Amino acid sequence: MPFRLVVLVLLALWAVPAGAAEPVVVGVSGPLTGPSAQYGAQWKKGFDLALEAINGAQGGIDGRPLAYDFEDSQNDPRQSVAIAQKFVNDPRIIMELGDFSSPASMAASPIYQRAGLVQFGFTNSHPDFTKGGDYMWSNSISQADEMPHLASFAVKELGLKKLAVLHLNTDWGSTSAAIFVQAAKADGAEIVADEGYLPDERDFRSTLTRVRDSGPDGVILISYYADGALIARQARSTGLKQTFVAVSSVYSPKFIELGGDAVNGVYTDSTFAPTDPRPEVQQFVKAYRAKYEADPDTFSAQAYDTMNLVAALARKYGPTRKGMHDGLMQISDVPSVVYGRIKFDPQTRRVAGARSVDLLVQNGVFTVWKPHS
Amino acid sequence: MLAPWFDYTINGLVVGNIYALLAVGLALIFGVANLINFAQGSIFTVGAFVGWTCVTRLHTPLPVTLLVVALFCAALGMAIERVGLRPLQGSSRIAPLLATIGISLVLDQLVQLIFSPDPRDLPSQLPDWRIPLGGGSIGALDLLIAGVGMASAAVLYVFLRFTRLGWAVRATAQDAEAAQQMGVDVHRVNMAVFAIAGALGGVGGVLIGMYYNDIDPAMSFQATLKGVVALLIGGVANIPGAIAGSLLLGLIESYGIALFGTSYRNLFAFLMLIVILLFRPNGLFSRGGSLPPEPLTGTFIARSRPVRVPRWLLSLLVGVAALAPLTHSPYLLQTLSNALLYALLALSLTLVAGTSGVVSLGHAALLAIGGYASALLAIDLGLPVPVCVLLAGCITAALGTALVSPAFRLQGHYVAIATLAIGEIVSLVILNWTGLTRGPMGLTGIPPLGFFGIPLDSVEAVYWLSLALVVIVALLQTRLLSGHLGRAWRAIREDEIAARAYGVNPARYKAMAFAFGGFGAGISGAVTAHLYSYINHETFDATISLLALTIVILGGLGNVLGAILGSVALIGLPELFRAAAEYRMLIYGVVLLLLIRFRPQGLLGTV
Repeated sequence: MPFRLVVLVLLALWAVPAGAAEPVVVGVSGPLTGPSAQYGAQWKKGFDLALEAINGAQGGIDGRPLAYDFEDSQNDPRQSVAIAQKFVNDPRIIMELGDFSSPASMAASPIYQRAGLVQFGFTNSHPDFTKGGDYMWSNSISQADEMPHLASFAVKELGLKKLAVLHLNTDWGSTSAAIFVQAAKADGAEIVADEGYLPDERDFRSTLTRVRDSGPDGVILISYYADGALIARQARSTGLKQTFVAVSSVYSPKFIELGGDAVNGVYTDSTFAPTDPRPEVQQFVKAYRAKYEADPDTFSAQAYDTMNLVAALARKYGPTRKGMHDGLMQISDVPSVVYGRIKFDPQTRRVAGARSVDLLVQNGVFTVWKPHS
Repeated sequence: MLAPWFDYTINGLVVGNIYALLAVGLALIFGVANLINFAQGSIFTVGAFVGWTCVTRLHTPLPVTLLVVALFCAALGMAIERVGLRPLQGSSRIAPLLATIGISLVLDQLVQLIFSPDPRDLPSQLPDWRIPLGGGSIGALDLLIAGVGMASAAVLYVFLRFTRLGWAVRATAQDAEAAQQMGVDVHRVNMAVFAIAGALGGVGGVLIGMYYNDIDPAMSFQATLKGVVALLIGGVANIPGAIAGSLLLGLIESYGIALFGTSYRNLFAFLMLIVILLFRPNGLFSRGGSLPPEPLTGTFIARSRPVRVPRWLLSLLVGVAALAPLTHSPYLLQTLSNALLYALLALSLTLVAGTSGVVSLGHAALLAIGGYASALLAIDLGLPVPVCVLLAGCITAALGTALVSPAFRLQGHYVAIATLAIGEIVSLVILNWTGLTRGPMGLTGIPPLGFFGIPLDSVEAVYWLSLALVVIVALLQTRLLSGHLGRAWRAIREDEIAARAYGVNPARYKAMAFAFGGFGAGISGAVTAHLYSYINHETFDATISLLALTIVILGGLGNVLGAILGSVALIGLPELFRAAAEYRMLIYGVVLLLLIRFRPQGLLGTV
């Protein structure tokens, strides 16, 4: 087990001068190889950044360092269930984070539920994820929060009345699209097209021609950053000049890198922006830029928030499985980049009230959008 | 009304253009080595990243970038031929196929380790002017890609027609042994072909990367898939046909979107592929009957003496396996249960592919049908789980056989591609038939395994259940193979025409193989669904089909015990290498390559 042990040992040595304290360990089940590996890599960046502060200035968990055991699932349910058995039978593990997609996470849920180990699916927005049992929790941004906001941004603020929706044909994309469509209609807009595309598609010319011919005055992208950038680039080659409004998951430096000039003029929202004056955001963005020489994205922010939540839970309610589970029901006021302050609804086991900052890409930079400016 | 159709036509040609770059290299290798080179997509990825290094780090101008990439990827192609494929010559034709899968895995992992899994931009080095065309426009890169596609086809045509090496290539393609006897250096020819195909693949990677301004290490599989489909539409081993097939695929997809919407794009394309394969099995642009049906039989499957395992040893192994829960390691048991559920799939595939000769690349579809059937029966009709699982097996047997039956009259690689297309169609129907399958939301709340009130949710119970299922199916399959059915299946595999002459109806026997195999695979999918409690269309995807084929070839085609051993090995190995984190799939790929190198006939030999 060389690599993982080395990580654990290094973390332990570096954080605790005495060297005697056992680390407090959370298990992470997520993709390090395979097609979704990029998201696992973003998670790691967020985790590592949070741990630097937790184990450094904050002195760990009552003197014990916090560490994570990241097991590669390749986002594959077969491997996530094996990892689940590994974690639930490893007495060191006090809580589990992940997996990335619904099929991988929800296949492992029965195992975590039976064993009484919290499965914290911090990217799992599938509405049924937390219904798997009282050990399934999530702080992923709820579409029920974001989509009505995005709809009112597009319809009321930007004045778009005929909308074409392009969404990823996944559980996340189609749930988002459904909520968005409902909210936009309630705001008085007309939906002229609603197209779902597969995650590995790269050619959107014909889709965009179809969108163009439906005569929208605005195009809504329910996409991740890579496919969002592809769509924006190909839009101009099909003669589509309408306003684009995209969901917060495109908020990533990669969106601008991959999209180039074509993403200038795209509106989006985000749970945070580097210009956000809140201290937790400033601290996060500054530390992230210093460590990785890049701007953070939604995925690393979620991971960062989650590791800080783990530390707060372990400190306040004790680094045990029971402590973490019971703590989730009670905890409040944990500073969060995404939410401001985190508090869970014990019924849904989710967090409500994700914040939103409206943004506009201008000259290759996400800038905060102010009405009538 | 005509204006949009003009736009859709242009859109189709633009993307078809891109597929052409992928398909030409595949066509060339297919023509000579009679091999679907799964590593071609990885060369494409490597080319893109080498190009990225040139453009962003060395700031080379476009012609130099393309030259560097072409040389690098030509060398890579030659290395693949020399190190990965030549040692396997004469063993069988299925072993090189597996080798290209292994090489592809290793190359993709290397790119991911060197460049990180993040997508990157690959800035175009061409001026940014655009020509308005209909409602849209095309740019300089579109023209360059078309030019490179056409030019490479023209150059290849001249090369194959008018040069000595080209003649040698064609002679080797027709009959390698005869060519060798006539003094053709077959190794040199193969190397030349892989070098040209590699260079084409690499240049394609750079140009397509620039077109999308987006390259990432996980793009190989899709590239290979699209290239292979385009190739099949045009007719394999036919370079102008590959280009025409690519353009046609682009058009089919574009019109599919125009008519039915974006989510039906691939569904429409794969259905068209099946139709084309049925009516023009040699591809649209091949002269009918000009090529003899490729010899799937005999040479395709390695001749070898299967390893005989004495009965007492088998009983002992089953006994030891049954005692595995004594280790008190739920993680081990879960991994073994996964392996056993894969073994059920592999038993099914080894029967249809190894014994009856229908090499299926879409076998995961059977898992999906079984999983969805059982889950829907349990959720919507509230039937007891054991009844659901059994019914799911029967439904899968019937539905699977019906779906694959059009492919029964196809030969060799065409069967593989047809089944691949059928597999994709099943997955896309599940995604789009929202009323029945809940579409992308998947099925939640699938009841756990249980036997009339007694829950079977402990890891030991699931393990014993899987073990029992595998033992029962394996015994049944062994029994079938030793009787009349087994002889008939092997006769069809060895020589379909001779079998027919003896009064054996191949389609009927292939259907029987699929019915039996479908039952086992359906049960496996059903058990998996109840185990996971949640499935969606991605739970059983195309990579599982590929893994199942890898397991079956590794175990030895047609070999019942080999299928089980192969599953335990290929599911167990990645778990064993878990401590290596990011490196584990690389190690897995290398181990896979070594196994093929030293046991090309499979661990236990073909039967």
